[in-house]
Amino acid sequence: MSYPAIQISDLTKRYGKDRGIENINLQVDEGEIFGFIGPNGAGKSTTIRVLLNLLFPTGGSARIMGFDTVRDSKKIRARTGYIPSEANPYPDMTAREFLRYAASFYGASQAEEKIPELMDYFDLEPGRKISSLSSGNRKKLSIIQSFLHSPGLLIVDEPTTGLDPLMQSRFFDLLRSENKRGMTVFFSSHTLSDVQMLCRRVAIIREGRIVNVEAIETLRKKQLKKIRIEFNDTVPGNLASLPGLENGFNVSGKAIEFIYSGDMNSLVAALSGKDIADMTVEEPSLEEIFMHYYN
Amino acid sequence: MNRSLFLRELRSNATSLLIWTAIITFLTTATMALYGIFLENNVKILAMISILPEGALQFKGISDVNDLFSVLGFYSANNVIYMLVLGSIYSIVLSSNILLKEEYGRTAEFLLSWPVTRGQVFCGKLTVVIINILALNLVTTIAGYISLETCKKEPYNVDAFLIMSLYTLLLHLFFAALGLFMSVLVKKPRPITTLSVALVMVLYFIFTISNITPDLSWAGYVSPYKFIDLDVVNPAYRIDLLNILYFTGFSFLLIFSSLRIYLRKDIYL
Repeated sequence: MSYPAIQISDLTKRYGKDRGIENINLQVDEGEIFGFIGPNGAGKSTTIRVLLNLLFPTGGSARIMGFDTVRDSKKIRARTGYIPSEANPYPDMTAREFLRYAASFYGASQAEEKIPELMDYFDLEPGRKISSLSSGNRKKLSIIQSFLHSPGLLIVDEPTTGLDPLMQSRFFDLLRSENKRGMTVFFSSHTLSDVQMLCRRVAIIREGRIVNVEAIETLRKKQLKKIRIEFNDTVPGNLASLPGLENGFNVSGKAIEFIYSGDMNSLVAALSGKDIADMTVEEPSLEEIFMHYYN
Repeated sequence: MNRSLFLRELRSNATSLLIWTAIITFLTTATMALYGIFLENNVKILAMISILPEGALQFKGISDVNDLFSVLGFYSANNVIYMLVLGSIYSIVLSSNILLKEEYGRTAEFLLSWPVTRGQVFCGKLTVVIINILALNLVTTIAGYISLETCKKEPYNVDAFLIMSLYTLLLHLFFAALGLFMSVLVKKPRPITTLSVALVMVLYFIFTISNITPDLSWAGYVSPYKFIDLDVVNPAYRIDLLNILYFTGFSFLLIFSSLRIYLRKDIYL
């Protein structure tokens, strides 16, 4: 019988009177790369820690590959890999000692055999003390330990923090190839671009509640840009009537800033002939996206 | 119990065990080496002790100053500070950190994501605490015995020495159990070393004050030191089963409660 990789039902975690997560319902299918996004403090790490049984749920339940996260936590851990958001491996160990220690819990020599191969792939020195490693190298260690036993499910929490672009790209390649092999990925992040690059579906969490579960394509169609233009003269009047201008714009002296969901060609046409001193186009923060779509 | 975790803990605590054992052994043997000089200068020493307040002697567990002139009495007076206080501090600091360090060091996020149950983590770490305390007591007791044999001028009661050593071991195990219990109650992950050391000192002072002040003798029962018979020179010195029961009973209760709490504890990082 085949079970969903993750099945979360009415899951609630409260910290005394403080909010953690409230009535979360979610299903992640086997073989999926599932995104889990939300701003900092939204409840992403709390959800993951309940899945890993670091925290006990106040209400509801969660199952991983059919196993209950509270009753069957050891069985789940044998089949799951986890990359925490902040990598703090044992500082008194060397990189190799830490990975051997991690591998020893899986009991299979296969896990230990993968150590040199993965250390090579992530360009990590085996003999260095963890206390002397940079945060990026600690992150690499954290990634490697999660792949040692070829897990059926990988739970990652802000995995790209601290990694340089080359290592991010290697990590994403590894994720894709392991996913082709059948590994499910639960990818938690506050970086929309990372999630868009990898995931087919995404759950959006805000203030402890799931706001929406969407196909990544749908989110892409809603793609917003945050634009700032500084003019040499006054701000031209024709921009206010531009279609796709979300909630007008903020004017500050000779500069304007706005969230734009319209056609880029129309914007360029509207700006044609205007005396522009500077212009930036960037991805809006998740909070800004939520302000537009979920308020 | 998980073998990897057990060996890792044994290794990571080895340096601290060596240092504490070396310090206590050195202090015990070095002080015993002064026993001969102490006897030779007994008149001057008695005159000096006579001007000390009674509390100063009670602090070292001495009820009768003449006891100091027997080799076992002299050993016992020093053993109080070195073994009963320093050894207890070692035990409580070791046990209060052994689980908690995974939380404040944030390594629990790795350890508890690997296939090991919390029960196995608890048992592995508890075993290391017990082994370390046994090792400390074994070495220091052997060192104490050798010192007594080397320094004695006349025979002494070896059984009394062994009984006192047994009490010392049980006291250390009690403080270890107390340290574990305190550590599983901590919600915000941070070291509780200062609190642990302070607790040992406060319990020792309560015991001392209760001995000096008859009106406060009842308060001594708050302290585990009250349940250690320090009157080793007394010919009627015997094992008191009630005291043994006190230490073993409370230690089991604290360890069992700690395990129950740890199995259901939210690990905040």
